[in-house]
Amino acid sequence: MSPLVEVRDLCKQFPVGDGAMVHAVEGVSLEVGRGETLAVVGESGCGKSTLAHTMIRLHNPTSGQVILDGEDISTLGNRALRSHRQKMQIIFQDPFASLDPRRPVGRAVAEPLLIHGKAKGVEADEMVADLFVKVGLEAGMMRQFPHQFSGGQRQRICIARALATNPQLVIADEAVSALDVSIQAQVINLMMGLQEELGLSYLFISHDLAVVERMSHRVAVMYLGQIVELGPRRAIFESPQHSYTQRLLDAVPIADPRIRRDRPLLTDEIPSPVWPSGSSPERVVMREVAPGHLVAEEGEVADRVRPT
Amino acid sequence: MDPLLSVRGLTVTFGSFTAVEDVSFDIHAGQTLAVVGESGSGKSVTALSIMRLVELGTRGKIEAGEILFRNSDGEVIDLVRQREDQMREIRGNQISMIFQEPLTSLNPVYSVGDQVAEAVILHQGLDKEAANERVLDMFRLVRIPEPEERMAQFPHEMSGGMRQRVMIAMALSCDPKVLIADEPTTALDVTIQAQILGLMRDLREQTGAAVLIITHDMGVVAEVADDVVVMNRAKVVERGPVTQIFESATEPYTQALLASVPRLGSMTGLDKPAPFELVEYQP
Repeated sequence: MSPLVEVRDLCKQFPVGDGAMVHAVEGVSLEVGRGETLAVVGESGCGKSTLAHTMIRLHNPTSGQVILDGEDISTLGNRALRSHRQKMQIIFQDPFASLDPRRPVGRAVAEPLLIHGKAKGVEADEMVADLFVKVGLEAGMMRQFPHQFSGGQRQRICIARALATNPQLVIADEAVSALDVSIQAQVINLMMGLQEELGLSYLFISHDLAVVERMSHRVAVMYLGQIVELGPRRAIFESPQHSYTQRLLDAVPIADPRIRRDRPLLTDEIPSPVWPSGSSPERVVMREVAPGHLVAEEGEVADRVRPT
Repeated sequence: MDPLLSVRGLTVTFGSFTAVEDVSFDIHAGQTLAVVGESGSGKSVTALSIMRLVELGTRGKIEAGEILFRNSDGEVIDLVRQREDQMREIRGNQISMIFQEPLTSLNPVYSVGDQVAEAVILHQGLDKEAANERVLDMFRLVRIPEPEERMAQFPHEMSGGMRQRVMIAMALSCDPKVLIADEPTTALDVTIQAQILGLMRDLREQTGAAVLIITHDMGVVAEVADDVVVMNRAKVVERGPVTQIFESATEPYTQALLASVPRLGSMTGLDKPAPFELVEYQP
């Protein structure tokens, strides 16, 4: 069976004046399988969120293709895109910012149903009630307002809204990062349960490698707009090949005081992704080191000189 | 050995709401104590109370308790009973604090060098030239590359990790006996967090300062703390040496908290994702 999403050579650049460009996403290719969680990890500014937003056309790509369920959606106009939007939904980091403070939360969850003509009136109310139960809330809560909920409950509401259109792909952009750990664990368990029940595919954008290890089937590591390593979760976590992946993993504090690592007193920083007019970053070359495990050849992205 | 700082029976209220209730702990010189808890547990209010900042700008009130501090003259004083002018001598000088978001702690219109110099001019009475020398030393201490050039930079020209180094440099510039760090690495990327935690550990050894770190991150706790205080709903629920807390926590809240912490390496050998095995906790 073909993958649910295929991203081919996707690029997204943003102008920053004087013809210079931020190369936020630079030639990314990946697939998301059906019922699979692909995690995209990397540090601030690596392009992971821009990649996700470009995939679902919150940004228009500079170049490249996004093939969703067999159809290239990267160049579709707004009208044609609308029916495809049902298949792909997104959950953001801060649920409070994603909900209108003056509307009952049930209305927020009903909105996708109404917009996409899935249901209206009493039928929509019933579907919303079902969605609330599905995400572990009580149906009666749909008449309450966002401020009456805790952060974890609000994120459950956003998940309910994302599920309203029966999507195949749900993008979770740091969706559990702002939650307290006990709540985070509950929401992660909920997301995993829903995946099993509904056959969802997740694109899970996160900076938290320990969470990613728990959730994902496959992992893509991004650095400066490009993927430097991509493979099955075990390959990435148990035998990371790229030096950047290793550095990321080494930096994670482990919740076990017996394993205290010596921290080298480094001061290095990630170079700028801004390139002046007429120049652009060198593309990494990926090679396959094991089935499905791709690693960028070193010395290209990692060592490049910072442009001015 | 007598503690450097001893919080005893601290209770802080905001109107009818009790944010901190009967909290006690000791910090010894050269040690790191982590206060850990989830949002709203009272950990930051505890830190702000030690600095006596909880009554400034907020409507907090220290209702009860004492905060005994052995000052640089060897006297033990109760911070709760110090006047504001006396606190100003202590704050930033003998006890200093760094916060989560360095950008909000730095003034955007002054160079970072001038801001750190201001602290030493104010507290140590140095002239501008001596202060600049001191700033340069501090920047070297916190391993800011090219310190001379960096001193002239403005906060927006620096990365988050460099800004936090500036804040640490400022906090340590007057040789404080206690450094309070409220979520110092929460806003930083994990590689930068590792650098800052390594730096803090190194500096504690070099300066002998006591460190009180406030965090929600059990990974950070495991990495830096000697002793741990676990807070929930304004109260201390458990305390002990770091290994005891992680290996044989007795309180149900601590056990539930630890069960929900994602741990790198916990999935080794497993092919499929797996949900957390959560421990039910009913307050």
